[in-house]
Amino acid sequence: MNYVIAGYAFTFGGTALYAAVIWWQGRRGRH
Amino acid sequence: MKFTQRYLGVATIVTLVATIVLGLWVTPPATQAQGGDLARLLYIHPAIAWVALYVSFGTTTVASALYLWRRTRSMVMDRIAYCAMEVSVVYIILTLITGSIWGRPTWGVWWAWDARLTSTAILLVLALGYLALRRANDDPEIRARRSAVFGILIALNVPVIHYSVLWWKTLHQGPTLLTPGQIAVHGSMLWTMLLSFFAFTFQFFWLLRARYRVEEQATQARGIEQADAIAARQREGA
Repeated sequence: MNYVIAGYAFTFGGTALYAAVIWWQGRRGRH
Repeated sequence: MKFTQRYLGVATIVTLVATIVLGLWVTPPATQAQGGDLARLLYIHPAIAWVALYVSFGTTTVASALYLWRRTRSMVMDRIAYCAMEVSVVYIILTLITGSIWGRPTWGVWWAWDARLTSTAILLVLALGYLALRRANDDPEIRARRSAVFGILIALNVPVIHYSVLWWKTLHQGPTLLTPGQIAVHGSMLWTMLLSFFAFTFQFFWLLRARYRVEEQATQARGIEQADAIAARQREGA
C-alpha cells in the first residue's frame, strides 16, 4: 500500500504544485 | 470565460476527489495475480499517460498545425501550443514517476530500458527541447514558426510509444482498456478508471486555461515594456 500512497502523493502533490506555480506567476504578473 | 474556468475547476475538483475516494477506499483490491492493492495505481497512471500523450500532445499538434496554416495563423495558436507543451511536461514526468512506482514491486526494478519506458523518456527530453527552443529566439514570428514545426515533429513519437508494447517485447503490459476483443477491467474498477480519465482530462484543460491566461498577461506586459522603451528612445532623440 505504501507504493500506492506514494503514487497518489506524487500525482496530486505534483499537479497541485504546478497549479500553485501558475497562480503565483499570475499574481506576480498583475503587480 | 471566467464562467467556463469556474465550472471547469468545479468539475476537476469533484471528479478528482471522487477518483481518490473510489480508488483508495471504495473499489475492492484486485486479486494477487492482478497486483492486489497495487492495482489501485491503475486509477491514476493510465489516465495521466492518456493526458500526457494524447490530450496534451493532440492539443499542441492541432494548435501548431493551425498556426502553420496561413488561414488560421495567429499568435493565439502559438500560445496554446506552448502552454499545452509545458503542461504536458508535468504529466510526462508524473507518468514516468507513477510507472516507476508500479515497476519496483512488480518487476523488481525502478527503471528498465524497455521500449515503452525509453520512448516515453525520449518524449520528455524532446518536450524539454521544445521549451528550450522557445527561449532561443526573441522574434515572436520566427519562434512561433520553428516551435510549430518542432511540435509536430515531436508528436511523431506518440504513435511509437502507443504501439511500442505491440511492436517490441516489453516489460510493460499491453493496452489495459483497449485490448482488442475484450475489456480487461470490470465492475467498479472499470468505472473508477473511466472516471479518472475524465478527471485528469478536466484537470489538464483547467491548468491549460490558467497557464494560457498567465502567458497572455506576460505577452501584454512585454508589449508595454517595448512601447515604453521605444518612447524613451524617441524622447532621448528629440
